[in-house]
Amino acid sequence: MNSAVTHREGKLERFSYDDQIVRLFIIATLIWGVVAMLLGVTIAFQLADWHVNLGVPWLTFGRLRPLHTNAAIFAFCGNAIFAGIYYSHQRLLKARLFNDTLSKVHFWGWQFIIILAAITLPLGITTGKEYAELEWPIDILITVIWVVFAVNFFGTIIRRRERHIYVAIWFYIATILTVAVLHIINSLEIPVSMTKSYSIYAGVQDALVQWWYGHNAVAFFLTTPFLGLMYYFVPKAANRPVYSYRLSIIHFWSLVFIYIWAGPHHLLYTTLPEWVQTLGMVFSIALWMPSWGGMINGLLTLRGVWDKVRTDPVLKFMALALTFYGMATFEGPLLSIKSVSAIAHFTDWIPGHVHAGTIGWNYLLIAAIMYYMVPRLWNSKIYSLRLANIQFWTATIGLVLYIVSMWVAGISQSLMWRAMDASGKLVYPNFIETVIKIVPMYWVRAIGGTLVLTSLIIMVYNLYKTAKAGSISSEPVLEAYALDDSSLEPGASAHRKLEGWPMIFAVLSLVAILVGSAIEIVPAVLSKSFIVKMDVVKPYTPLELMGRDIYIREGCYLCHSQTVRPMAHEVLRYGKASEAAEFVYDHPFQWGSKRTGPDLARVGQKYPNMWHYRHMYDPREVTAGSIMPNYKWLFTDKADYQSIMKKMNVMKTLGVPYTQEEIAGSLAAAKAQALVIKDDLVAAGVPQAILDKEIIPLIAYLQRIGVDYGKSEVQP
Amino acid sequence: MKQAALSHFNLPWLPITGLIIFVVCFTLYTYWTYKKENKAVYEQASMLPLEEAKSERRN
Repeated sequence: MNSAVTHREGKLERFSYDDQIVRLFIIATLIWGVVAMLLGVTIAFQLADWHVNLGVPWLTFGRLRPLHTNAAIFAFCGNAIFAGIYYSHQRLLKARLFNDTLSKVHFWGWQFIIILAAITLPLGITTGKEYAELEWPIDILITVIWVVFAVNFFGTIIRRRERHIYVAIWFYIATILTVAVLHIINSLEIPVSMTKSYSIYAGVQDALVQWWYGHNAVAFFLTTPFLGLMYYFVPKAANRPVYSYRLSIIHFWSLVFIYIWAGPHHLLYTTLPEWVQTLGMVFSIALWMPSWGGMINGLLTLRGVWDKVRTDPVLKFMALALTFYGMATFEGPLLSIKSVSAIAHFTDWIPGHVHAGTIGWNYLLIAAIMYYMVPRLWNSKIYSLRLANIQFWTATIGLVLYIVSMWVAGISQSLMWRAMDASGKLVYPNFIETVIKIVPMYWVRAIGGTLVLTSLIIMVYNLYKTAKAGSISSEPVLEAYALDDSSLEPGASAHRKLEGWPMIFAVLSLVAILVGSAIEIVPAVLSKSFIVKMDVVKPYTPLELMGRDIYIREGCYLCHSQTVRPMAHEVLRYGKASEAAEFVYDHPFQWGSKRTGPDLARVGQKYPNMWHYRHMYDPREVTAGSIMPNYKWLFTDKADYQSIMKKMNVMKTLGVPYTQEEIAGSLAAAKAQALVIKDDLVAAGVPQAILDKEIIPLIAYLQRIGVDYGKSEVQP
Repeated sequence: MKQAALSHFNLPWLPITGLIIFVVCFTLYTYWTYKKENKAVYEQASMLPLEEAKSERRN
């Protein structure tokens, strides 16, 4: 490819591509895509009408929502990434994948992980950390399979027949390295059993590590690999080179360096140190430049072929995907500005923004590359351009309905939360008033989601018919020169040489992401000096700890936050603004990211035990119009008292100051506290048999949240 | 609490170091990338997706 290397006289080698593994990943993408979106539509209807929860534990919103996000990100997008990477990687390097067995282990291992997630999450087996809910044995399996992928990927680079490593592969390298770092650091936890563990981080530190992970999962799982795919498939489909290769280089280095800093914008106005919040906001705004640089680079690649965009489904989906990428990456930095975040955070605006990215960018780009790869891999033509066109418009209309309804719901609700009258009182003091107003928007969102699901099913049918009409021929034999000295470029610049040294390049990419990570996280994690200790804050009692695990199991954090921001309307509604010292024993933190229901940071002792009892049995008994599901199994299932000692031992290992006497007497202490709550409930007419049921520890926990500081005389 | 956090944070050189690293790196790779003599190289690199292995035979 190089003008300096016009005549290569090395050994001409014959080889073939492993396209079978690409086909398998494509099939998995389509299957899991339908599952992920079906789950999304289900939980969207559950929010519109609580009856759709059906009263079944493993079908409730709190358990299905993590499954939806994990399926959409890691199953649907994950398999699509692997399909696209394996397809383009081999062709850009003119080499077969490093090892066929590793490819198969990668494929089947990843599917096994997804199945494990599909079993464990509905059962309530979760770490309680958003987008990282899978428990420790699955975390280890993910690490192993990711290493298999990395070995296969880098092994292919070593065996390549093309010296220059095209920019798409740079994005893949950044993805592989960064996801590994994020996953390992965020998943550090100490097991209690095969199905339960506690994060080694607590409170503010856990929040920072979690959102450093959560934000960069979006960056390095849903953005960088897709940008790599964009840099390969857009030029292929348009049959012209990328608009500016040099811009793509600037795009790459700026994006990987800046993205990693932006995580704290998820924690604005929390008890995270102010400097970290500001740093996160500034770097989020800086992200506008590389994001739009990449988007413009992709769109301008289509210059001269705009006539084809009207008719070619591949280009059509790519153009729309890039447009939504531009919109989402404009909206993201906007939402990171503190004053905008004050309005948008905890509202439906955020899921609206997230879906502009995942549906508008990821799904539509996946559709484009599927329409590109399937006809070529099955030696066929797209079955129906008309169906592709119907899919295009169904998805677009569905997505617009989704985004607009969430904008309306989010902004409306936020304005109602903060509305105060002339005397300084809240205009809508009852949280439920603000929920009822936006339920119609939940119906619009559910309908929009259904249209998007329908569009995906249309594509699956179209691609199935395309594949069925074709055939899989034997692997064609290709020819390319071996990589030897004849491919060297005399007098190349330092950066030019670097592009031919994959391992050094990988190390520098790693350094780029580690600089931001270290500067933000290491001081926060290692130095607890910024948390002013409070003597009034004590560890949870054994029964409260049991109740907290039930809270995590049911995914309560998905609808209820546990942090009061220092804003007048929040302090009026909930109570004292939260302090960092309140969360030092929270492994993991439970601040949440959405308020479908009210914040619970000051719910402890706000209501009598009987209120919680009735609320969990049927929320509408105490809050007319509530959209929260019933949790009737908490009244029949027995609480797990036997593991409490183990749990307290793990907490002690993590630094929670339980004494040996407290641990030894934890069972008795838990039962004694349960008896007190039971007696209180029985006095109000509840049957005696409630004593050993799960509702008792849950009430104990709910009555403890935020009490130590919230009810104390200690002032900020 | 925010004032307290800031007063306890005794590593002000840390974000400044990050900023300097970014500015230096950005300047360097932008300079390398946009050097005139590299233009032809990158234009050819951009053609890589359009090259097929079968057409690799040259001389």
